[in-house]
Amino acid sequence: MLSSYGRHGSDAYDLVDRLANGRARVAAWNAYVCQTYADKLAESCEESAPLARALYDLARTWLEHARTSDGDTRLELPAWGTLVRSQEQLVAMRETLDALRTYLAFEIGEDDPRLATVDAQLATVDELWIPRPTPELRAGIGSALTIGLKAAAALGAACLG
Amino acid sequence: MSLFRPARTVTSPSGDYWELYVSKTALPAWRGSDADDAVDVSGYGSAQFDVLELPVMVLAFFWANLILPLARVVLMLPVAVVRGRRSRAVRIEALRTFPRREVLLWTTTDGHAPRVLDEIAAGLSQGKIVRPVGSVYTGPE
Repeated sequence: MLSSYGRHGSDAYDLVDRLANGRARVAAWNAYVCQTYADKLAESCEESAPLARALYDLARTWLEHARTSDGDTRLELPAWGTLVRSQEQLVAMRETLDALRTYLAFEIGEDDPRLATVDAQLATVDELWIPRPTPELRAGIGSALTIGLKAAAALGAACLG
Repeated sequence: MSLFRPARTVTSPSGDYWELYVSKTALPAWRGSDADDAVDVSGYGSAQFDVLELPVMVLAFFWANLILPLARVVLMLPVAVVRGRRSRAVRIEALRTFPRREVLLWTTTDGHAPRVLDEIAAGLSQGKIVRPVGSVYTGPE
């Protein structure tokens, strides 16, 4: 049911590639970030459904902005209600960050120093990532991934604007 | 790696003495009950108070605050030990007992534990609480 809910924003995957750099492409990038994040969370577990739904709604809003080229281009990702995430949620967040980094590296080049802000958070995640992590470690991994996702979203907006 | 013997001891420039413990086991928390919940003491100090109730109250106090919490810890300790052995997570606790008891917790992984311990000890010896790469600092327990 959640996947059908998110189908409305699936244009985000194509639109960001079709537009030229500018406000509309930044809005399409924001939609792409939200749609990717929501899809990964929706696949992960039931408890992620409220956040995934909020992200799908955001993706649709950003798609409308991309089509009309109006409004603010600053993306605010919805916050988690808790500090500690489940292992499935962390996997979804990590896959999202990997996907965003891959897109950015393709767009600006693998050697671009601006990727360092995202890579630093991925390195932190790698340092802490073990099978069956304790709640303390999951909180640390979740914080690093949250910072990384915000950094990747902001970098994309800066590069595509 | 031991729960009962500090891996390091450190004294800060201000004279604070810290013991650093490294372990894979998170000991079950001691949860005593509120004795007021176990025994009704509303009549205490009044004419209704019966001195014969005193032994019952003392027994109830020990039951709620010693025997039950101890039984809980004894039952949960093997689970905590097994869970710790299966995990690659390592807890580093810094304990200070004076002027007041304080326990700071870092969590890391077995591969980073020696380096993280060195950095924490070096930081505390300079009076600083550091956050080494590859660890999560969760603050006072």
